Amino acid sequence: MKINRRTLLSLIGVSPAVLAGSPAKADQSKKKSAQKSGEAKIETLNPKGLPPPIQLIPMAPRLSSLDGKTIFLVSDGFAGADRFLNQIAIWFQKNMPNVKTVYRLKAGSYFDDDPKLTAEMKASGNAMIMAYGH
Amino acid sequence: MGLPTAPLVTIAFKDLAKTNAANRGMPGERICFLPHPMTNKTDEEMYKVLEGNDPVTNKPLMPEIIAALTVPLTAEEQKSGTVTPDIGPATYVDTQENLQRIYLDNNMTDFMPIILPTEEKVQAMLKGTSHKPDEVIGTLSAARGAQPSWSFTVRHVAINAVMAGAQPEYLPVILAIASTAQPALFSSTSSFSRMLLLNGPISDQIKMNYGIGAMGPFAEPNAVIGRAWTILSKNLGGCGMPGLSYMGTLGSNFNYNNICIAETENKLPDGWKPFHVQKGFKPDDSVVSVFSGWSLNNVAWFPNMPYHELIKNWLTHFFSFGTSAATLLLDPTVAREAKQKGYNSKEELSDYWSKESKTPAWLYWDTHKNELKQAQAGVEPYASYLKMGDGEIPFQRFYRRGRPGAPPDPNPKSSVEIIVLGGETNTYWAGGDFSYVTSASIDKWR
Repeated sequence: MKINRRTLLSLIGVSPAVLAGSPAKADQSKKKSAQKSGEAKIETLNPKGLPPPIQLIPMAPRLSSLDGKTIFLVSDGFAGADRFLNQIAIWFQKNMPNVKTVYRLKAGSYFDDDPKLTAEMKASGNAMIMAYGH
Repeated sequence: MGLPTAPLVTIAFKDLAKTNAANRGMPGERICFLPHPMTNKTDEEMYKVLEGNDPVTNKPLMPEIIAALTVPLTAEEQKSGTVTPDIGPATYVDTQENLQRIYLDNNMTDFMPIILPTEEKVQAMLKGTSHKPDEVIGTLSAARGAQPSWSFTVRHVAINAVMAGAQPEYLPVILAIASTAQPALFSSTSSFSRMLLLNGPISDQIKMNYGIGAMGPFAEPNAVIGRAWTILSKNLGGCGMPGLSYMGTLGSNFNYNNICIAETENKLPDGWKPFHVQKGFKPDDSVVSVFSGWSLNNVAWFPNMPYHELIKNWLTHFFSFGTSAATLLLDPTVAREAKQKGYNSKEELSDYWSKESKTPAWLYWDTHKNELKQAQAGVEPYASYLKMGDGEIPFQRFYRRGRPGAPPDPNPKSSVEIIVLGGETNTYWAGGDFSYVTSASIDKWR
């Protein structure tokens, strides 16, 4: 299946114009130029390189309920994420005591995979909450 | 991964997070948003965030997180397949005035007028290299691993070189820069700056200025080559889109030109090697070296002590985002004085600076929290450091160190780089937190 990236970005609420060459804006300028007569037009080249194709990944099936489930609370390593996830653990203890939470700090940089942690979560967890940036 | 996930992101990164999710194949990822910043909140304030609303949806946060994990998937969220990125038309046809506006409005420039890249101009540019136009050079990303890696060819680089105003004889330099896979505009909240250093015969061949005003706007290649790196980073790597692939909160004015300089090799003191030779190239090789950092101090100070001692003291007290690497840019007069004081190579001077510079106490304790706990428990040498009060701690921070947890290197190398340039009109020098990244052969791209 092929989906135009413009359609995809519209789905997430981001203007396609900011991500690549924007034919929409080019069209507007062309209309503007059409109002002017006698100015020579020239042809110029698009300077963009080649972004990689995007493989859509189906999201994991959701749980019917969190009751009795184990949720991994995973920090990406930014300052304070550990404290914030601890507050989430406290929230579950107070409000949904049947939910078990397990805190983990992801190994590596914020964009690195952590295969060991992934294997652990798949083996003993039901869901993940990850936080958070700055 | 196969597990239902609720990612939590602060609202400052909303567009970045959504775009990244889309680029990685999950445009519908159920991201829940938090206020920004979270880092400085107390535990009590953090708990109140949980009891509050998602600032994007304005719905209660914890129920939203639970829904992200439990509400059945929509058909859109279960889709697979391939999305073809849209980079716009192959060509634009319009008046020159309107074309300038099209390139500017689509973030394809540095927001200054460009040379419009016609086929004729690009063909003329391609005469600057023996490489075929369709040769793939490599990939470029705003943050490798976190942002998509775009691919590009010699022709793509030539188009961007035309836009920057380059002459065909500059093209091998620009191709070499592109081959490093280093973007001029790196995505980080810290507003990285970059620096380009040319060494070897190329500097005179294209008339780089390395004399009076070596770091200023006084020569065409210095101006244009640095500019080309920023423009090509936007167009060949998807870099420099604020909020999406560029997050530097203050930004850096250096990014307009990326401090494109050449070393004054003909004024190096006897025994001092040009920078590229220090990195393993031959003197007759033409090489471009890439540095990364944030800031520079241009120092006007006429001390009673020798300059190398003054710079040692500056290193002790200098700090910025980076605290363990430095690059010194010395006028030839300053370099000659260091030679007269007995430093027979850049390496000797660099080693002296790394060995003898210290660290202000407040900076040491602010960056060594575990050591502070040990100091408070009486563990040496940290306990003695603590007794020094507000003084200088004998901690040598300008050494290349391994990753945290790695065994200590018995012979660590100095992280202070030295470049000699300038017109000898006075004994000035500049220093900053730039660190060496990589070098690339320019001759390979002739």
